[in-house]
Amino acid sequence: MPTYDVELIDIVKDFESGGSRVRAVDKVSVKIADGEFFALLGPSGCGKTTTLRLIAGFEQPTAGQVLIRGIAMEGIPAYHRPVNTVFQDYALFPHMTVEQNIMFGLQMEGVGKKEARKRAQEALDMVRLPDIGARKPQQLSGGQQQRVALARALVKRPAVLLLDEPLGALDLKLRVNMQYELKALQRDVGITFIYVTHDQEEAITMADRIAVMKDGEMLQVGAPREIYEHPGTRFVADFIGETNFIPADLIERAPDGSGAVRLSDETVIKAQLSKTLESSSGPVTMAIRPERVGIAKVGDSIDSADSDQTVLDARLVDSQYIGTDTRYTARIADDINLIVRVQNTSEREFSHFTIGQPVKVYWRQSSTTVLDR
Amino acid sequence: MAIPSPLLINEDAMRRNRAVRRLGQVGLWLNPLFAYFFLWAPILVLVLFSFNESRSVASFTGFTLKWYTNILNNVMGAERAFSTEIMLNAFRNSLFVGTIATIIATVLGTLIALAMARGRFPGKSLIDSLLFLPVVIPEITQAISLAIFFKVAFDWIATISGERLFPGFHTIIIAHVTFNISFVAIVVRARLADMNPQLEEAAGDLGANPWRAFWRVTFPLILPGVISGALLAFTLSLDDFVITFFTSGVGTSTLPVFVYGLLKLTVTPEVNAISTIMMVLSTLLIGISLAMQGRNASRG
Repeated sequence: MPTYDVELIDIVKDFESGGSRVRAVDKVSVKIADGEFFALLGPSGCGKTTTLRLIAGFEQPTAGQVLIRGIAMEGIPAYHRPVNTVFQDYALFPHMTVEQNIMFGLQMEGVGKKEARKRAQEALDMVRLPDIGARKPQQLSGGQQQRVALARALVKRPAVLLLDEPLGALDLKLRVNMQYELKALQRDVGITFIYVTHDQEEAITMADRIAVMKDGEMLQVGAPREIYEHPGTRFVADFIGETNFIPADLIERAPDGSGAVRLSDETVIKAQLSKTLESSSGPVTMAIRPERVGIAKVGDSIDSADSDQTVLDARLVDSQYIGTDTRYTARIADDINLIVRVQNTSEREFSHFTIGQPVKVYWRQSSTTVLDR
Repeated sequence: MAIPSPLLINEDAMRRNRAVRRLGQVGLWLNPLFAYFFLWAPILVLVLFSFNESRSVASFTGFTLKWYTNILNNVMGAERAFSTEIMLNAFRNSLFVGTIATIIATVLGTLIALAMARGRFPGKSLIDSLLFLPVVIPEITQAISLAIFFKVAFDWIATISGERLFPGFHTIIIAHVTFNISFVAIVVRARLADMNPQLEEAAGDLGANPWRAFWRVTFPLILPGVISGALLAFTLSLDDFVITFFTSGVGTSTLPVFVYGLLKLTVTPEVNAISTIMMVLSTLLIGISLAMQGRNASRG
């Protein structure tokens, strides 16, 4: 039996506000394995931070169970839980030095001053800020404060580290650097990370698994690749990356997960069905990522040996140069525009298209996902 | 025929505009002048005449420090109204009342501020707004209500225990605590509102139970607010006349009450000197209090 560091079982959290009840977390169940980097991803107000606070013990669930290392956390206050938090705005104690901040948690455990000081220095070395122990938090840059907050939490050697949008306040470049560092650090210390973010890119680059949340519900839990390539719902597909949504009618549903849809101009194309698709016929949405679509001039040979390939006639209506890529808009039917994203490689340097020109767009069946509308 | 230039018309309007603006600027410059004159002129007169050679306030005849030295040397005033011994006694009373009332009010006010900022209980918003009442209701109303309250309370105690109580230090102190609690609570509350509530959560997260979280994190961070509130309370207590007058008993006159007693006879120059000293002292205390409040909570 695998061991789980954190298990949430049918967690419900209601908040009273002005006499009315608001459900912040709605029947969330998930098991997070030992040493996993788990991201809670969703827009603001989706319940991701509340879920984190329920694990930390700052909030008590209205219903359901939180288990940490198999132990039910009901009635156990935050200060007795084997978890530590990195807060969104770091919450470093302004009246203490960096060293005192880091030693605080150890002293609460009854660790002696000498030992605490030694471990604080180790923690500072770990986040690569060995010389700032004597400074006050407000004398540090945002990135440094972030690392101190990390050191303060990790020095306690928690079973689980909870991170609430820890990179949210940093500027873009620093944020990207910290993403790599955090991931490397997590691999080194082997502690389970539960990471709250609204930034899909952050979640995809760092997490082992992502839970996409909306309105208090966990819509989909899976590896970044699975979430990106095979979104279970329209919301997930839309929230993570750019997606073409093509309205269609489902006309065939095979037991192996493939099927066929009919577009508004009667074109029938083969498509892959989402595992969680409920409709067996009728209106659906076919999702396809822009980078999964190819574009070619009429007359250019497309590798059609692949029977999986779908090729459609289209007309180019827009072309946008965006540095690494070019983003084309191709009209495949009167009311359907398809975004096509092609990387600007050196071989493609001379393949210019003019707007209004007839083109061909093509993709593989496995690149599509048919979702409930 | 010349075409009327639209530019010319604009220039006229602009000239008018400029004139009005200049007038406004003069007004803006005069305003504070008047305001500060009304604010400070009487005080300046008082300070000036505390250094006046002559006993009369009719004219300034020369500079002297004798009224200040008179306060310290036991010299009887011309009208025999002023006595250093009585004054020093009144001053001691003021310090005594102020110290005790400040300690009690600071503890209670801080506790109320904490309850208001962190607690969740029914009627909180009502209590919250009631807290400001002592700040806004007229002092005389508060004074009379306290005087009546003590009388009723003493009558009640007399019928129950047969022992008659009289107003004295205890009544003044209770009265001072009553109005000072609000000021302390308001100042400490502002400090608490300034403090990131996540700091307390962070302390808990790091293993501190609520008691230790309070003493290690919350209290050090609100301490400047507590000190500031205490200094404010002490100053208000030192300066208070109306409420003290209505709640004091025999032999418990504070300095303001003593000064008022002197004034009933005549304005002696010593009164000017005492008032100046009190003003300097109060300004100093309030200045420290404001400086403490001004310290940013996030910087500790």
